[in-house]
Amino acid sequence: MESMNQEIDVTGEICPRPALIVRDNLEEMEPGESLLVTADYPPARDNIERTCQKHGYETAEAESGDGDLFTLRIVVPDEAKGPVMDS
Amino acid sequence: MGRSVAERDREKPPVALTEYADLHGCSCKLGQSDLVGLLEKTGLNTDRDELVFGVGEDAAARKVTDDLAIVSTIDYFTPIIDDPYEYGRVAVTNAASDAYAKGATEQLSFMVVLGVPKEITEYAINILSGIVDAVADMEGVVVGGHTVINPWPLAGAAVNAVATPESLVTTREASPGNVLYLTKPLGTQPAMGALRVKDGEFGDQVQEATDRDIEAIGADALKWMETPNRDAAKAFESAPVTASTDITGFGLRGQSKQVANNSGVGLEITHIPVVGGTAPLSKMFGYGLLDGDSAETSGGLLMAVESDGAADLEAELEARDVFYREVGRVVPGEGVTIDDPTIEEI
Repeated sequence: MESMNQEIDVTGEICPRPALIVRDNLEEMEPGESLLVTADYPPARDNIERTCQKHGYETAEAESGDGDLFTLRIVVPDEAKGPVMDS
Repeated sequence: MGRSVAERDREKPPVALTEYADLHGCSCKLGQSDLVGLLEKTGLNTDRDELVFGVGEDAAARKVTDDLAIVSTIDYFTPIIDDPYEYGRVAVTNAASDAYAKGATEQLSFMVVLGVPKEITEYAINILSGIVDAVADMEGVVVGGHTVINPWPLAGAAVNAVATPESLVTTREASPGNVLYLTKPLGTQPAMGALRVKDGEFGDQVQEATDRDIEAIGADALKWMETPNRDAAKAFESAPVTASTDITGFGLRGQSKQVANNSGVGLEITHIPVVGGTAPLSKMFGYGLLDGDSAETSGGLLMAVESDGAADLEAELEARDVFYREVGRVVPGEGVTIDDPTIEEI
């Protein structure tokens, strides 16, 4: 079965909101699915990547846009079960 | 804390200063690698004969006579907290910290830097009142300043101090075997971040992530940000302190790296004190506090001291009622190692 992809746009959001919005979205997703995050707040890139890596999610830059705009692809790991972004 | 002017201004509605900026406190600094590149490209990264030390240190020192150096620095940033009075206090305490980090603790003169969005110019008085009160607490003098209309609020100061050249401490003399001390717990970034979202859609989640009240965590962080590093710096004269810097926007790792690079040594961080409740917030926000990556605002001094003088330094810090923790060692090699440090909640 093909994995589902979701997209969210957090442009205009400043920290810590981008990481919190990403976290909420990932909690609703199933293993193997991927989330495409578009953002434009430079510190959010490190923060999203760091919080994902700490919780076993893979991140990769999907696209670098104009100015501060960037897009990250986050893949929900197969071993993820339940509330995977528990802090 | 004296709040006389702020109290007189209470008839004004509260203003959420942090909403007027996208970056907050010391996290508005240009990135460390960008700054290094900028200095290299402009040739400002080289030593100058006229200076005891300059770019690459927290402050610059220029020798005026054999026994007198003028220590100069400037620091200003965007709001880290909504309250204008507290913002002023934090900003100028942070500005003074660069002089203190070099051991210059006396006769501080402050040229205030103040920027206010045109929509909220009436709050300039509150910011300036916080600056004036904090400078008085540090026994300094506000000698002037410059005030502009700016889309993001800005506050801070250019600071001058005097010291004997021999009493000054750089980031260049740390050597293997030295003991590392930190004089404030870390965690201002997650503490202030939590305050910014506590009333919104994520308020409940953020509060549930930590076992302490978000307001109490914020109050603790504010107390530390408003604590001058002056008494900590005064302890330098009682012990063989080889290097010192203050922990600000580059975080514990970034500032440690500065000491490691400038001294040609490695720094091994094994213990990190944090404001109670900030560790789970940092994990939730992706701030990297427990890895030393979280930006700090008006943080403590990171000091290296010769091991046989460590007891003297501790005694002096205790006598001056200064918080401190031993956080690691200087080792041969290069770079900064923060590998599974013990975390202590303060």
